[in-house]
Amino acid sequence: MFVEALLTGITLGGMYALVAMGLTLQYGVARIMNLSYGEILVAAAFAVFWLFTVAGFNPLIGMAMVAPAALVINWVIYRILLLPLVRRAKTRDALEVDSILATFGLLFVVQGVMLVLFGGAYYSYSFLAIPVDVFGVTIAANRLLALAFAAVIGLALYIGLTRTRAGTALRAVAVDPVSAQLVAIDVRAAAAIAFALGGGLVAAGGVLVSMFLTFNANIGVVFTMKALIVVIMGGVGNMLGALVAGLILGLTETFVATWIDPGLTLAATYSIFLIILLVRPQGLFGRGGR
Amino acid sequence: MLEIADLSVSYGKHRAVDNVALTVAQSEIVVILGANGSGKTSLLKAIGGIQPAASGARIMLAGADLSRLRAHAIVEAGLALVPEGRGIFGELTVRENLMLGAYAKRARAGEAENLDRVLTLFPRLGERLAQAARTMSGGEQQMVAIGRALMSAPDILLLDEPSLGLSPLMCGELFGALTRIRQAGIGVLLVEQNAKRSLAIADRGYLLENGRIVGQGAAASLQKDPAVQRAYLGVAQSAV
Ligand SMILES: Nc1ncnc2c1ncn2[C@@H]1O[C@H](COP(=O)(O)OP(=O)(O)OP(=O)(O)O)[C@@H](O)[C@H]1O
Ligand SMILES: [Mg+2]
Repeated sequence: MFVEALLTGITLGGMYALVAMGLTLQYGVARIMNLSYGEILVAAAFAVFWLFTVAGFNPLIGMAMVAPAALVINWVIYRILLLPLVRRAKTRDALEVDSILATFGLLFVVQGVMLVLFGGAYYSYSFLAIPVDVFGVTIAANRLLALAFAAVIGLALYIGLTRTRAGTALRAVAVDPVSAQLVAIDVRAAAAIAFALGGGLVAAGGVLVSMFLTFNANIGVVFTMKALIVVIMGGVGNMLGALVAGLILGLTETFVATWIDPGLTLAATYSIFLIILLVRPQGLFGRGGR
Repeated sequence: MLEIADLSVSYGKHRAVDNVALTVAQSEIVVILGANGSGKTSLLKAIGGIQPAASGARIMLAGADLSRLRAHAIVEAGLALVPEGRGIFGELTVRENLMLGAYAKRARAGEAENLDRVLTLFPRLGERLAQAARTMSGGEQQMVAIGRALMSAPDILLLDEPSLGLSPLMCGELFGALTRIRQAGIGVLLVEQNAKRSLAIADRGYLLENGRIVGQGAAASLQKDPAVQRAYLGVAQSAV
């Protein structure tokens, strides 16, 4: 029972961490507080669902199509919808407020399109629903696969951000956008890239989540909320923080649902969130850095 | 050669920099002296492109017009600014700060030699490459800031009060480094309150008052100018 809950919690937590890494990139580097973030996740889930059940593409191939497409689409969204706000904003705080309003609108547009296409019903598909034996407990192969992919993508992102010049440049924009210009970094271009990367990550997360959870056109906002909580818990712009906070959240939810009451998961989530904010307002790992 | 003419900066109605003209040649240290609030920082920020200048300004570097470029492109054109307060990336390590200094395309080819040069200039940085920049002492942080700017292989280096808050010993080290930077062929535009020390190493100087250039000349003659001595060198007026 414990090992089973542990595995389930780690899988869920890995998804949260991956999704939160994308949001922390968008917010930390581009200073866009993206309220439509979870909609991209759901849209990717629907896209891969359609590719699998109608067009016959395996969800892993689907991910190889959906994530790069989301990357490009998010880049275009940044250039067309958000760049005018960036040009207009006098300060980064002003941009934050403007971006909340703009992406709040975008949320309803994306959600509306999905509601028209798919209605409000819950969807799922069966892919690799084979029981696998791990440490004496059975777990569906699709969950393990999703976890493995989340780990690989998260690790690749972390290495890319900390070990390459381009990644370090993105972190530099997050910690000090004015000084970043002084080392020849085009801050607007960097912001567009970070926003696009975040979109690609959340789309990959959506594909992975759809392999083992049911979804409908309305649940985007749940993922946006949870990603936000993980980002704030871990410290804005902090990749390791997002990983640890995501795992804490996934494990807490699973343990509470298993041993106390599934109805209390949300309450547990917010309790942990509040406790961390009271003890460490800057998040577990503080701002910026890694 | 950096050539500036008709450069003005306004904050609302307040004109902080008023029709400034100046030049900085290669292998030359030029100092701008001015009291608090005279517009020194505004002037450097406008040249570096992080503060908009009033239209009509001319900022030419080696024949190229910088006045319409965004800040990152100005660095790419060969002008590096060490801002007031240093502007280093405190959360990143010294090595990462220096590596980002060479982010400009112009700096990539000579990156290894430039790093060597910076570490020879400031040996202390070499011992602290893995340290988070914000945990360095004030003087060491200033070295990181100057080192980072040099990593972009600039033709012209702008420095906004680099000696602020440094001990006399550290100050001496810093100004010594500036003369070696000049030897490397770089033109240095230095804003300072420490008039004595800066005039001692500079070739030429400008006096800035309320945003206007009110005097200029060779450093040696400025040092002897009674008005400069009174205003910036703290020499008491002798009774005649
Ligand atoms: N962002 C700003 N908004 C409004 N006024 C400003 C701003 N920045 C500077 N000023 C004003 O412009 C004038 C020049 O300021 P600046 O910082 O350029 O002076 P400075 O010579 O660098 O002074 P210090 O020696 O104290 O650094 C001052 O009167 C200042 O109050
Ligand atoms: Mg100043």
